Amino acid sequence: MVKADDDILKTASQCRHYAMCKIDYLGTGLCPPGKRYHYVSYYPQGRMDLYTALSENLIPVTEGLVHIAETCTMCGVCDLQCHFVTGLRPLKVMDALKNYVADYLKGGGKPASIPPDEPLRRLRGIVGTEWASNDPAVLVTYANDPFPLADMRMPRYVVLPGTREEVASVVRLANELGLPYAVRGNGGSVFGFVFSEGIVLDMQRMRTIAIDKDNWSAAVGPGVTSFELQQEVFRQGLRVNTAEPAATVCGNIVCTGTFSTWSYAYGTAADGFIDMEFVNARGEIYRLNDKQAPNVFAFENDVIPAPGICTEATVKLQPTTADEDGVLVPFWDFDEAVALARELGRRRIGLAVAVLGVHYIANFMSPSKALADRLKDVLPETLGIRYVVFAIGDRYARESISKLAGPVIDSGLWRTLTLGLPRLLDQEWQDLVKGFEASRPPYEILIRPEMRPLIEAVLRPSPETLAASVEEDLRGQYAGLYSQPRFTDMTWLNMFRIVSSRMSRRKHMFAFLVYVPLDRNDVINHINAEFARIAAAQGLDHDFGFLTPMDLGKRAILEYDYYIDHTDPVERAKIGRAMAEIGPWLDGLAERTKGVTFLKYVFSQGCSRKENFLYR
Amino acid sequence: MILLTGGTGFLGAHIAAHLLERGEKVILLARFKQGLPAAERVGRLLDWLGVGAGRRKNIQLVEGQLDRPGLGLEPDATASISRQIDEIVHCASSTSFAERQKAEVEAVNVGGLGHVLGLAERSRCRRFHLVSTAYVAGRKSGLCLEEIVRPSAFNNVYEETKCRAEWLASERCAEAGIRLSVYRPSIVYGHSETGRSLLFNALYYPVRTALFLKNLYERDIRECGGRKAAEMGVRLDGDGWTVMPLRIMVADGAGINVVPIDFFVRAFGSIREGANDGGVFHIVNSRQTRIEDIIEYTQAFFHIRGISACSAQEMEGKPGNPLDAVFGAYLEAYRPYMMDRRIFGTEKAGPILEKKGIRCPDLTSGIFKRCLDYAVQCGWGARLF
Repeated sequence: MVKADDDILKTASQCRHYAMCKIDYLGTGLCPPGKRYHYVSYYPQGRMDLYTALSENLIPVTEGLVHIAETCTMCGVCDLQCHFVTGLRPLKVMDALKNYVADYLKGGGKPASIPPDEPLRRLRGIVGTEWASNDPAVLVTYANDPFPLADMRMPRYVVLPGTREEVASVVRLANELGLPYAVRGNGGSVFGFVFSEGIVLDMQRMRTIAIDKDNWSAAVGPGVTSFELQQEVFRQGLRVNTAEPAATVCGNIVCTGTFSTWSYAYGTAADGFIDMEFVNARGEIYRLNDKQAPNVFAFENDVIPAPGICTEATVKLQPTTADEDGVLVPFWDFDEAVALARELGRRRIGLAVAVLGVHYIANFMSPSKALADRLKDVLPETLGIRYVVFAIGDRYARESISKLAGPVIDSGLWRTLTLGLPRLLDQEWQDLVKGFEASRPPYEILIRPEMRPLIEAVLRPSPETLAASVEEDLRGQYAGLYSQPRFTDMTWLNMFRIVSSRMSRRKHMFAFLVYVPLDRNDVINHINAEFARIAAAQGLDHDFGFLTPMDLGKRAILEYDYYIDHTDPVERAKIGRAMAEIGPWLDGLAERTKGVTFLKYVFSQGCSRKENFLYR
Repeated sequence: MILLTGGTGFLGAHIAAHLLERGEKVILLARFKQGLPAAERVGRLLDWLGVGAGRRKNIQLVEGQLDRPGLGLEPDATASISRQIDEIVHCASSTSFAERQKAEVEAVNVGGLGHVLGLAERSRCRRFHLVSTAYVAGRKSGLCLEEIVRPSAFNNVYEETKCRAEWLASERCAEAGIRLSVYRPSIVYGHSETGRSLLFNALYYPVRTALFLKNLYERDIRECGGRKAAEMGVRLDGDGWTVMPLRIMVADGAGINVVPIDFFVRAFGSIREGANDGGVFHIVNSRQTRIEDIIEYTQAFFHIRGISACSAQEMEGKPGNPLDAVFGAYLEAYRPYMMDRRIFGTEKAGPILEKKGIRCPDLTSGIFKRCLDYAVQCGWGARLF
């Protein structure tokens, strides 16, 4: 058992399983052993779990663990990757794990060798010896996620198939042996849906991307992440509607239908793909475009199983123009923000639109939690900003937004504010800004074009200015990142969504998503108020997340977030009680109110036509 | 025994010191704020005001909340206060102009007053002193009399709620047979002899903004090559002065009505003692201070050249720089007070103050310098305690 250093263990146990260490989203490289061996156990996320598991005496030192520990090169890539979104520094955990194993071996310890049993031999016969394992050091990293309402479920085997035929064979074998199975995309699910006492299939190795420009489509394997696909498509000057960067494209379509701010223009669910390939529960391969395929386009307001294991999705690619850029329109009043978002939808202005709360904005902008926390206070208290309408559009769209809304925060001002953020929070400057206020909030004065030179002079924006807000040893790297234009480019940031994981930097995030009628502010306000009331009653941190108009402003998707420390049993109990209240309340509301659908029921029905759940 | 609300604010703290100096016994209603218990906040203020230990014995501190019915007090505490108090001085107020904070401003300025009046009605109190503002007449121009007014429009939520507070106090005191005195100061700044102040808004704000801009562009010149300063036309003169081209809009014959805190306190004390039947009293300066004078004082004090006062006609059609825009923005909020032509009648307050030989000093360059010295020295309030 690890005699754990409290600080190191705290870091290890706080891993959110967002799998951001499994994609090269900063352009700084990828964890070398993870890239080579594919099991999540070899990525920093898995090593964090292993360190926690050893401290809790859940696993012995095995041959697999020794290999995992010894293959870590201590390159340090994970430290920046993880810090950028969570503020955690995992390198010390990697170091501690290596040292623990080295000390164990030095002390004469003999790693346990786990012999293969018959099912494992047969699984290896299908996928190859390297890609199926029963080593506890591998299994434990597929046994849980920071979902506080599910207990750990240790699988017997983890399998990494390489082809759809291998997936089909594994399913048939599982049926033959009576073994349950679950499939994981990128080895992570924050809602705990991907565990099994039998076989876990990790699709990491199936990473093909075939772009067909003539058909405006890309055929994507189930191990491909949103980030990787967007990156490939972006190189061709195109765009795809994807999910969180580390989420797999196929898995996300099946689970949620893939929604994002781009769903404003590109839709969701069946709008996003041309065809999909599945392995069904009998181990047979079929495509949705087959005449005999099951009707997955229908929607049932219930929790039902997925149509199978997705082995390929042919997704739609979207055109772009060179003049796309972002704007933000600040608001004090929520209803006014919603009214603008709805108006943009009705008038078909822009490509991506959302109403965002201050927690989102503060965290998007801030490279550290401390800065985000301060900004979250300053935005409403000093500047009078409680919400923003965020939009991406071409120059015609942006001009229209300015005409509709008045002065906006354009990309230039956004860059200035981001790179000068620490000075925006300077007390003397804040005191002066507060003095402007009378009938209208101070932001209205600050964002006027004539104020731009003064803002520039006050904030003195630069990568170094912003980097000064993180730990000293990371400042050089942060300055390097923020000297790249894309890190302050609203369009790029929104396409690749690399800062959205910062939402849960303070605590693990529980996102509640509800489709709502956008012309019913009373319903939207009621939903927000009720989420707030339930959270407050339980003593949970909570915040409005975002609202994105859909289908020409007739409907929208609303996110309200709860934040908990997933390692704290008291907080786990609180969220359990809150969820017990939320389910029946939202079910009742959905029954009474046209246009309200809890996303819980869309999970696993992501291939359905959006009309079937938006207009029930 | 006197109940004092707002005793931790600028005016209220000075009134508390004045009452204690007069040997009065004071119940001070205060609350926990910014992480500090009421007792600690009051203690710091009394230190700052130089109230000695002997006088402090006459203070009874009560932790309460103005925005709650019954002031958030336990029934026993309410009953005890009701039995003791003869007078109430209500100073507590929100001075925010922010429309988006209207609900909070109303809750303090109208709702809070209602709660205090409720206590007054249930007590043996027979005198109620309401500290209001000279600007309750809203957008009215010309002569403003010392009477309860019902204007049709206001410049901001502060004026509106203070006016509504006067109506409320007037009605309920009349019903309860309580004599009401309403004190209407204009814009109050620091002590005319020492320059000391607790609050650095209103008069101080534009001056502080000018200093901020001067420092900002001087640093740009000294540390960053001066490109941004050059864009604004800001430069350093050889004699160490800074040239900062900045136009501030003024109007002929208009100015700002300011009174120092020491005058306000003396006036308050004299009216309280000399007007037993109550009434409405303006505590104002008989002369407006010209904005041109404040500009001159500011430039001399901070070694700045280039700030000019311009009429609206002079500015029209001539694009300004962002420095003009900053001050233009400020003036949007404060224009009614900086380009003020109102005449405040003092038919009631005037004779009382005259009898006592109390006269409001004009804001001279000497007073301005003392006040600004103190403001800079205490970091505009940041280093007060």
